[in-house]
Amino acid sequence: MRESHLKLLQYITAIGIFFLVGLHLIISHLSSGEPTDWTSVSQRAASSGWLAIYILILLFGIYHGMHGIRGLILELSLPNKAVKVLNWAIVFIGLAVFGYAVYIPIHQFMAPWQIS
Amino acid sequence: MEAASKGKAPLQNRLGIKGWAWAGRYKMERYLYTLHRITGFGLLLYISIHLIANGFRLGGEASWTDLMSVMGNSGFKIGEYLVMAAFIIHALNGGRLMLQHLGFTLGKPKPPVYPYVDSMRRRRPLTWIMLAVIAALALYVLIEFILEVTG
Repeated sequence: MRESHLKLLQYITAIGIFFLVGLHLIISHLSSGEPTDWTSVSQRAASSGWLAIYILILLFGIYHGMHGIRGLILELSLPNKAVKVLNWAIVFIGLAVFGYAVYIPIHQFMAPWQIS
Repeated sequence: MEAASKGKAPLQNRLGIKGWAWAGRYKMERYLYTLHRITGFGLLLYISIHLIANGFRLGGEASWTDLMSVMGNSGFKIGEYLVMAAFIIHALNGGRLMLQHLGFTLGKPKPPVYPYVDSMRRRRPLTWIMLAVIAALALYVLIEFILEVTG
């Protein structure tokens, strides 16, 4: 993928994060009750809408964060071989973090009896 | 760009990591570049902690409630405010960068008449407006946090 396409994706994910995290904060913190109470957490965990929002935030957030870190490191003028290693490391770490992070809401959504 | 078009290697970043913090006399936009990095790192640190904390949900209600009792102290509340402030700064400055990178706020090219003013500085009012909005939002969130902690 060309660098300009990666950068465009960085912008698209930024806009996505802005609206989704905004939605997350507004709905969970302006609604009645304490958002970190177990009851409130359980209700959100059982909702397919919240699951979709969490997965999208993770996708956008991890891409945006990993691409940002890659940009910082690339400013150090690395040799081509190191850039290739860096690219693969960024993809690998991003996928690993996504796998760990997405497991939690999916597991709770699929097994709601464990949280109620 | 010129070096790349002639098949030469691009200039090396001789300052390395030190250049992120200091590379000479900076203009305001360069300080915003540094601030964008600091807030970006801060948000990454927060997200890491947030994801680890979310893992406690798998341990059930007792595990989650124990964690929340630890995170309810004033130190974490100050941390939460800093995260919100970092989010506001990173989002608004990121929006400014996007508009400039895509050319929407650079204006039309002008003949180089002395004293020379580059397009970034011609568009500085946009930066000032952005900083004013950041300050207003950060203050609003600070008041909300203080009311929440004291109320």
